[in-house]
Amino acid sequence: MGRRVVEQLHPGHGKAGCLKILRQLSAFLDAELPTDICKEIRKHMGACPNCEVFVTSLRRTVNLCRHSGYHQLSPTAKVRLRAQILKAVGRA
Amino acid sequence: MRKPPKGRGSASPPSSRVTTEKNGAKTAARFDRLYREQVDRIHRFAQRMCGPGEDAMDVVQETFLNAYRGLKDFRGEAQMSTWLYSIAARACMHMRRKRKGAPDRELSLDEFIPTSEGEFRLQVKTDGLTPEEALANKQLKRGLEDAIQALPRKYQLVLVLRDMEGLTAKQVGDVMMLSERAVKTRLHRARLFVRRELSARGLASPSRAPSGKIEG
Repeated sequence: MGRRVVEQLHPGHGKAGCLKILRQLSAFLDAELPTDICKEIRKHMGACPNCEVFVTSLRRTVNLCRHSGYHQLSPTAKVRLRAQILKAVGRA
Repeated sequence: MRKPPKGRGSASPPSSRVTTEKNGAKTAARFDRLYREQVDRIHRFAQRMCGPGEDAMDVVQETFLNAYRGLKDFRGEAQMSTWLYSIAARACMHMRRKRKGAPDRELSLDEFIPTSEGEFRLQVKTDGLTPEEALANKQLKRGLEDAIQALPRKYQLVLVLRDMEGLTAKQVGDVMMLSERAVKTRLHRARLFVRRELSARGLASPSRAPSGKIEG
């Protein structure tokens, strides 16, 4: 189903081109692909605005994950937790 | 455990008791160091897996409890942090079973292939902002947390370990006992899932917004 839709979206653009890009996007973003394949992907993106937007959106998603924050554990909570663990193993 | 020599009864001789106590003290000292060095890391991981709150605290507690019990057998073949992540990952899975969450399902690549032009062009809106600045927006931050929580557990684990905790694909494979190839496959699907969830929650728009601000 997906393949047919992509072909309809990009008539004449290279049938499997977009799908091939989508399958390899994470490896592309993580710089794990050989240079020639990266070049091919960049070339495809230059001619395919949809894929370019898709790549950008995925890159942003990954960047958001990499920079997401978290709550620090307070010193009091650390002490309390340690005491609970030691009690459970019989060393308190 | 070695049996006491025949004819001496079942009570441990004083020297054996002293050795046991010494070993116990040694384990306790190792545990203290481990706890001091790793508690923040495991707490952060637990929060990312379970969300902030009691579940995360329970995971931290279960992780260090099991680590204490396993410490005497830890030979150092793996990095200490990788070993702890493995224990924490099991604790998260255990928590999931206890909470009777939705059963894990496989994510197929096909389900992420856009089926319309508009869907293809959905953008995650962080226009002009760094990821840190963008995440100051509560709607976006919440949307990201919800999307990660909505992931099937085995995909969530890979995404959290790789993209949030910063482990290499090989290290994630060691934690989850998976090949690097399987890690990368799951990671890709997990990322596509989160991207789709962010857009489905109205955090993305079909075109680039002219302003540098995030809506919401």
